[in-house]
Amino acid sequence: MEFGPILRSLLRNKTGALLIALQIMVTLTVIVNAIYIIQERSQHMTKPSGLDEANITHILSIGYGESFNAEATTDNDLRVLRGMTGVADATVINAIPVSSSGSSNGYMVEPGRLELAVMAAQYRSDDHAISTMGLELIAGENFSPNEIVRHEPGTARTDTSVIVTRAMAEALYPDDAAETTIGRIFYAADDTALQIKGIVERLQVPWPSADFAENSVIYPEIELDGGNYYLVRHEPGYRDENLPRVEETLAAQNDTRVLRENQTFEQTRTITFIPDNAMTSILSIVVSILMFITGLGIVGLAVFTINRRRRQIGTRRALGAGHIQILRYFLVENFVISTVGVIFGAIMTVALNMFLVNNFDLAPLQWYFVPAGMAVLLVLGQLAVVGPAWRASRMSPATATRNI
Amino acid sequence: MLQMTNIGKTFLTGQVQTKALDQINLEVDEGEFVTITGPSGCGKTTFLNIAGLLENATAGQYLLDGEDVSRLGDRQRAKLRNQKIGFIFQSFNLMPDLNLFDNVDVPLRYRGLGRGERHQRIEEALTNVGLWSRRKHLPAQLSGGQQQRVAIARALAGSPRFLLADEPTGNLDSKTAAGVMSLLHEINAKGTTIIMVTHDPVLAQNSRRNIDILDGQIRDDARRNTAAVA
Amino acid sequence: MFFYYIKLALLSYRRNPVLSSLMVLAIAVGIGAFMVVYTLTYIMGGDPIPQKSDQLYHIQFDYGDPAISAFEPPPQLTYRDAMAMLEAPFDYPRTATSRFSEAIEPPSRNIAPFFANGRGALSDFFTMFDVPFLYGGPWGAESDSNGEQVVVLSRDMNDRLFGGENSVGKNLDLGGLVFTIVGVLDEWQPIPKFYDLNNGQFNVSEEVYVPWHLIASQELRRSGNTNCWAPPEGDDFQAFLNAECAWIQYWVQLPDQNAFNEYQSFLNSYVEEQRAFGRMRVPVDKRLFNVIEWMEEQEALPNEIKVLTVLAGLLLAVCLLNTVGLLLAKFLGKSAELGVRQALGANKSSLMIQHTIETGVLGTIGGLLGLGFAVLGMEGVKILLSGDIPLDWLGIDMTMAMTTVGLAIISGVFAGLYPIWRTSRINPAIHLKTQ
Repeated sequence: MEFGPILRSLLRNKTGALLIALQIMVTLTVIVNAIYIIQERSQHMTKPSGLDEANITHILSIGYGESFNAEATTDNDLRVLRGMTGVADATVINAIPVSSSGSSNGYMVEPGRLELAVMAAQYRSDDHAISTMGLELIAGENFSPNEIVRHEPGTARTDTSVIVTRAMAEALYPDDAAETTIGRIFYAADDTALQIKGIVERLQVPWPSADFAENSVIYPEIELDGGNYYLVRHEPGYRDENLPRVEETLAAQNDTRVLRENQTFEQTRTITFIPDNAMTSILSIVVSILMFITGLGIVGLAVFTINRRRRQIGTRRALGAGHIQILRYFLVENFVISTVGVIFGAIMTVALNMFLVNNFDLAPLQWYFVPAGMAVLLVLGQLAVVGPAWRASRMSPATATRNI
Repeated sequence: MLQMTNIGKTFLTGQVQTKALDQINLEVDEGEFVTITGPSGCGKTTFLNIAGLLENATAGQYLLDGEDVSRLGDRQRAKLRNQKIGFIFQSFNLMPDLNLFDNVDVPLRYRGLGRGERHQRIEEALTNVGLWSRRKHLPAQLSGGQQQRVAIARALAGSPRFLLADEPTGNLDSKTAAGVMSLLHEINAKGTTIIMVTHDPVLAQNSRRNIDILDGQIRDDARRNTAAVA
Repeated sequence: MFFYYIKLALLSYRRNPVLSSLMVLAIAVGIGAFMVVYTLTYIMGGDPIPQKSDQLYHIQFDYGDPAISAFEPPPQLTYRDAMAMLEAPFDYPRTATSRFSEAIEPPSRNIAPFFANGRGALSDFFTMFDVPFLYGGPWGAESDSNGEQVVVLSRDMNDRLFGGENSVGKNLDLGGLVFTIVGVLDEWQPIPKFYDLNNGQFNVSEEVYVPWHLIASQELRRSGNTNCWAPPEGDDFQAFLNAECAWIQYWVQLPDQNAFNEYQSFLNSYVEEQRAFGRMRVPVDKRLFNVIEWMEEQEALPNEIKVLTVLAGLLLAVCLLNTVGLLLAKFLGKSAELGVRQALGANKSSLMIQHTIETGVLGTIGGLLGLGFAVLGMEGVKILLSGDIPLDWLGIDMTMAMTTVGLAIISGVFAGLYPIWRTSRINPAIHLKTQ
């Protein structure tokens, strides 16, 4: 193998090679970190909410004025919604999962031990919550209709049963299987006692980036403050047709209120993830541009060095070198340069990741991203150089003797 | 007008010192036509580079027009090259992307002449070599002989005191070469000193003065009284 | 000579069109991407009120319960402390301010009732933040304390309700109460919305402004972040107001260092006093933040943008390395020409000028193309972000356009430094012989 001569030739013309190696180094650093961020964000965006997302819509109703009767309106709205054609079920709730807006609280297994608090989202809804959202009840029971409390703002809350998610049960009782925690009592930050009545497999909190993404507690309570989110699950195929009808129907019931945010769950998801979506799109573009520019740089310099070595290549051809040997010469040369680039690039990649972790709350890189990125760039280098090298290998031996 | 005393040039290649020129003593008078001959690698080109102020000698003294130019800096050498010396090369060395007019313009630009004077000189020089009508052409559109005539026009446009030619006919067929040689003799007859490196024994024999270089030293400095114009 | 060199640069571009276009493309792409991100940083992280940003201070108290692990003191004030601050014996302009949302019943029956985003503020709010008025002006300081039902509308809200005519003096039915309109704002959308960074720093400015005390006295529907670190002692509204719940932004204008020192020592002794009651037990480093400090503290510039800035900087570096390599190839490829030019009288510095101008020309072309890329990129960002925040302010202005081209030229010349240095070391003599 002509490895030795290639290396010595490279060391004599180091600048060009060094520039390519540096480019590959920085490119590796950027693309590995960018792809890692993209992948992290995508996981975020695709995390299941636990809801039957394809069939759910929601609408916000806010009543105003002295004549507005929150309780009567809520009861009537729910009755009308549940009676609509194509509606599977409907419920009233204080916050919509994945919507970015809701309320959270700290919970403890012993009263007054704030230092042990586990954060969770509080959902307040009725006995139709599980059925409307399409949640999977894995243990215990659903609320019964007569359990649902009508809470007037400014009045005291009482001890109650709740339904929690599997993640919440496990966070409260890390040593026990979630299913075995039915009937246990834990406490809210204000020391209200809460008894676990049922456990659902999954229900995301309103804030997808929260570190307690699946810690949710559902209270059997309708808050009568005039503002209601209605969640509606439609029969398959009815969602789009029903969406405008939901608003029309509610508007017809009562005119001392404002209706807003009549949207599908998919729209909610899109709106919540606009920044993440923008970030991943921009990063994908950055990665593509970088690969493209680095590839072009390698092609450009390869064409140049080959042109400068026309005579030498011609001479080699005249001395009996075959196409393959010429081709291989340039491929091996690029491989040597790229290898140096990716090795230093790997170090710089980890360094940049550490910088991002320390300064911008990013999670540390998983190790296998680095070798994967190195492999991609080695392949990119070979692909970029193969065209010019192929042309060089086709060069006529007569080039050696011709004046240019 | 050109006087070299004990001129030497040593190159350092790795650990080895190579003497390209050694103890060159030479005087060339105004209006002379000197040919330089010698085998490949004897130091002819190094001599020409030093004479043309492209390189400094490592030893000795070089007087041009009575001025000591042996140790000048880049800027002053560039200025002298521009004003006093014209170059003609074997491979013409025209700028491929400039047309004939702009090629001849190059040294005049570096001299910083005004637009009118440049135009006048370029017209004169190109007319002189019979190529004014083709001033908008690119070098690649001309034959070898025509290209060399452009190079000569370029060398002459700055009205240099002497002309250095490095095998000016080396890339030309004999008929074209004869044309170029007669052009050079014409120029010489008008008073420009010419030093020409050549491989051609006929050209060497026909010149009034021929200097033969071997291994970096002058082996023979032959003068003839009879100028034989071919 | 300058134009001669420009001509040579263009000729040189024509001689190696592929190589030259690669360089231009590399510069354009690098600069374009960098400028998109830089523009975002420049706008989102810029000083929203440069004439006063060093005089306006937000207060941070030592809030929290040491028993709650990893508790960061919330950046807003409790009602109790906001009231104490308002009663402090200073003449410095100051305002407590917070958001609410209430139904508006439009005067015209043709418009259905709707909810508007509102802000409670003191009359100083408008002068402190240089809020522009189209009609009328702020309410007087006496309206603050008397609980008068006066309102200032945003320009958009005035357009919507009154078709843009001067509505000062008219009445507005807001949250079931009747308010008198005293002023209409002109367009006002500070980026970021520095006076309330806790509720969406790029959100649209509020549509109606009322005296802040009305939020408590009329129990207007509060909106915006509320952080509590102890449950209220009771369930009614008064219990909430007395509770350890932070939901109020508080700004004071301190014109000079003396005022700052005076106010700071007042705050320090206030905190000492409160500690005696068992409050304010999570110490903070600093209690007064000017606008710029507050934006940094609250991370008004999203981390995403900072990460992108780092990555875009590296992208630009790759593009420049690319250009250095290609320039080196190009310049060394014309060694022969350089030899001839020197033989014809060019000195080294004139060759360096020639090449610097050549790189400048490449940079200029790259910059113009990069400006195009940046404009396109900005449109792309707008599409990606549409629906999230108002985007009228996102764009490349004249300063940014000039910066783009300028940066490209500098980049081109910078990338050329090493290749030019290399060419200047070429011995002219050895390239004059036959190649």
